[in-house]
Amino acid sequence: MKQSKDPFEAALEEQEESPPDSPVGEDELNSQTPNEPQNQTNGGHNLLVDDDDYDNIGPNIKNPSHPSSSSTPKLHSTSVNANVATRATTKNKEYEDEEEEENVEVELSKFPSSADPAKMAKMQAILSQFTENQMSRYESFRRSALQRSNMRRLLVSITGSQKISLPMTIVVCGIAKMFVGELVEKARIVMTERKESGPIRPCHIREAYRRLKLEGKVPKRSVQRLFR
Amino acid sequence: MINPSTGPSSKAKVQHMMYGFGDDPNPLPETVTLVEEIVVEYVTDLAHKAQDIGSKRGKLSVEDFLFLIRKDLPKLNRCTELLSMQEELKQARKAFEVDEDKLATLE
Repeated sequence: MKQSKDPFEAALEEQEESPPDSPVGEDELNSQTPNEPQNQTNGGHNLLVDDDDYDNIGPNIKNPSHPSSSSTPKLHSTSVNANVATRATTKNKEYEDEEEEENVEVELSKFPSSADPAKMAKMQAILSQFTENQMSRYESFRRSALQRSNMRRLLVSITGSQKISLPMTIVVCGIAKMFVGELVEKARIVMTERKESGPIRPCHIREAYRRLKLEGKVPKRSVQRLFR
Repeated sequence: MINPSTGPSSKAKVQHMMYGFGDDPNPLPETVTLVEEIVVEYVTDLAHKAQDIGSKRGKLSVEDFLFLIRKDLPKLNRCTELLSMQEELKQARKAFEVDEDKLATLE
């Protein structure tokens, strides 16, 4: 399969009409020039908080017309052709990246129990109304992920043990990504409090970090960090 | 902070992630650097704590991390979701390989 799309999103596409036009591939964000520092925290926040199952609702924005434009290693080479109503997330991509490189086509006929047509429908309704800006941001949100290999290396160096299982890297990458989300969202809140706009500055992040620490969301070191 | 494990493209990933979560499409480089540092520190502290917990049982396992974030519901839910998806993918792959073998023997 030459597709450049997320396998689970491919499954979703089977079930619905033609996807809205996609702005750009996700790694071309740098070339994008949207200039509304639109504060997306509302939309983004809802999606983030809605952690219950909203399967398979990847943005169906991939342009099937450029299969090889996905030159980034992030885009997977496997495609799951199916009635799989599971969630399309960025973790899938990296996972298939690292595991098997060849094209794997899998038929799954069962729907996981997390499939919830009502939630899916709601999600679809929301997604269909996204502006281009919002859609691109959502796409970035879904597709971005920390690199598993880097994470594994980091964990190995911290724990000193080579036995870092794959689920562990996946979990830690997920946790770290959500932590970034918390930081950025809090920083945006700080910015609106100070009535500032534009790109987030380090001082906002530091204030956000301070607040997260007060809330207890950051693990505290029992011993102070002496050397960096 | 010296971090040998972040590669050249990690900044780009963090940038996209920040944009996805609400930052500007082009975040400030200082901000990206700072976020990366904070995340590394966070993961380090988390891993150390997990190791402390894990050392009581013997070796480090995923459960230790899950225990650490038990209070943080969104993260916990997300992790269980990721783990179950990974299981599913594993099963799916296994199923595929079996089919492929059969095809090979047929030919």
